[in-house]
Amino acid sequence: MSDWSKVTRPIPVPNEWTKPFWDAAKQGVLALQRCRSCGHVQHPPYATCTQCIGVDLTFEPVRGAGTIYAYTIMYHTGDKRFASAVPYASIVVELDDAPGALLAANLLDADYTEAKVGRRVEVMFEQLNDDITLPQFRLAAG
Amino acid sequence: MWDNRCKIAVSGVGYSKVSRTADRPLAAHALDAVRDAVADSGLRMQDIDGLATYPELPATGHAEVDGISIVSVNCMMAMLKLPALTWHIQVGTTNIGGAVQQATNALLAGVCTYAVVWRAMHNPAGTYQNLPGAYAQGAAQFTGPYGFGGPGQGMAVAYTRWLETNNQSRDKMATLAVTQRKHTQHNPHAYFHGTELTREDYFASRMVAYPFCLFDCDIPVQGAVAVVLTTADRARDLKPKPAYIAGYGQRLHFETAGRIGSLSSYMEGGSSSAKLTWERSGFTPKDVDVAQIYDGFSASVIYGLESYGFCKEGEALDFIQDGRIELDGDLPLNTFGGSLGTGRIHGLWHIIEGALQASGRAGSRQVKDANVSFVGASAPIVTGTTFIFVGDPY
Ligand SMILES: [Zn+2]
Repeated sequence: MSDWSKVTRPIPVPNEWTKPFWDAAKQGVLALQRCRSCGHVQHPPYATCTQCIGVDLTFEPVRGAGTIYAYTIMYHTGDKRFASAVPYASIVVELDDAPGALLAANLLDADYTEAKVGRRVEVMFEQLNDDITLPQFRLAAG
Repeated sequence: MWDNRCKIAVSGVGYSKVSRTADRPLAAHALDAVRDAVADSGLRMQDIDGLATYPELPATGHAEVDGISIVSVNCMMAMLKLPALTWHIQVGTTNIGGAVQQATNALLAGVCTYAVVWRAMHNPAGTYQNLPGAYAQGAAQFTGPYGFGGPGQGMAVAYTRWLETNNQSRDKMATLAVTQRKHTQHNPHAYFHGTELTREDYFASRMVAYPFCLFDCDIPVQGAVAVVLTTADRARDLKPKPAYIAGYGQRLHFETAGRIGSLSSYMEGGSSSAKLTWERSGFTPKDVDVAQIYDGFSASVIYGLESYGFCKEGEALDFIQDGRIELDGDLPLNTFGGSLGTGRIHGLWHIIEGALQASGRAGSRQVKDANVSFVGASAPIVTGTTFIFVGDPY
């Protein structure tokens, strides 16, 4: 299993578009940007709805169940902040509640070899500091 | 079909020495390549009145110093002091293929007569993707914290998606790496000229970002290449046989910044760009004699072959087997070695080779009777520019 204990993750810096996402994550809630005009759910947050160009956007909680859309296993140690964890799985998750919205994450609590396209995962949260908590994913129970 | 079909041509092409380290300023490489291209056309430098480039340094965490790590249009103007200069531009969104297309448009508009386009690439000392920051800002706030650093991982996730949804094996990619390295042995300007690669080397090489091993990634180098473009009638009076632009296309597929790993984005970007090139040129994939498809990471070739219409989705790694992409195969591919053979110079070298093959100037790697020559000059997701060159218009 990848050893994350010595990794220094860069800390996300919320901006006016993304702050609600990080505020929710701090409360242990996954909230994505939703268009009030057409109902489209998208990620990462954007100035307009990528489906209907609507500008009336809000953040709403979504369930943390999804599948691994894609992944890569990192072996290269060029990024010193992550070098101690190689090899590790960086994954892209598509949530059941947000088809087409792709979330980056790591596969935690499992060997990196468990990362496979289509495998079921569920959200978990990793606190980085008092302000920022990172949504992460692990294999779904059962 | 396009009204301007075959009205503009690539004439001369030029190269600097390609080296692994930045042993001299990048401006010197760019100057060598531009002089070489102008001389190849049989022109004098003072004849050049148009300049275009895409100067971006794709390495992160390194200073952009004009003349050292990039070569801007300003830098080239200052060096050449062209007396007849009437048009110049550097493009931001469509990579180097976009610079060639802008030069084509300028020539069609009559605002210049002989345009030079160059691409100069720097290899900074130390780690290419230098990511020392304690914070992840902007789009990176959703990817950086998870160890998504350089572009390789972004490409790698789409590749696992492709492999596993199509039940394919990355082992088949060895054919691309080995065949392109074989082609490289016919290209004396390439970084890997003189260095062989076997299937065993490919399988034994270290993993970088699965599914990419070392030989799926182009090696960072320092160097430059350049082309002279002019109108068809002027090109016919110059030394080399012209390679006419039968059509081109471009499409920056819509992506919000920070979205990662979407395989469909590569496909949509590539097919949108290629559709324009097929329609404008009047050709179809079946007409193509030889193809150059951008290969900064090997998987780009998969997305290119499929989205441009050379084979069906999910079939590219089977398509490249059994000699099909050899110099005497059905679709000779990346005949100059590709970026995997030349080193990381981006897509202008693909454009150069597309032009050389069309005009029969590719030397010992010339594809027999090649006339219709296709180029995909960048990864479809980034900025899918595509071209068709022909030596004998029909
Ligand atoms: Zn909408």
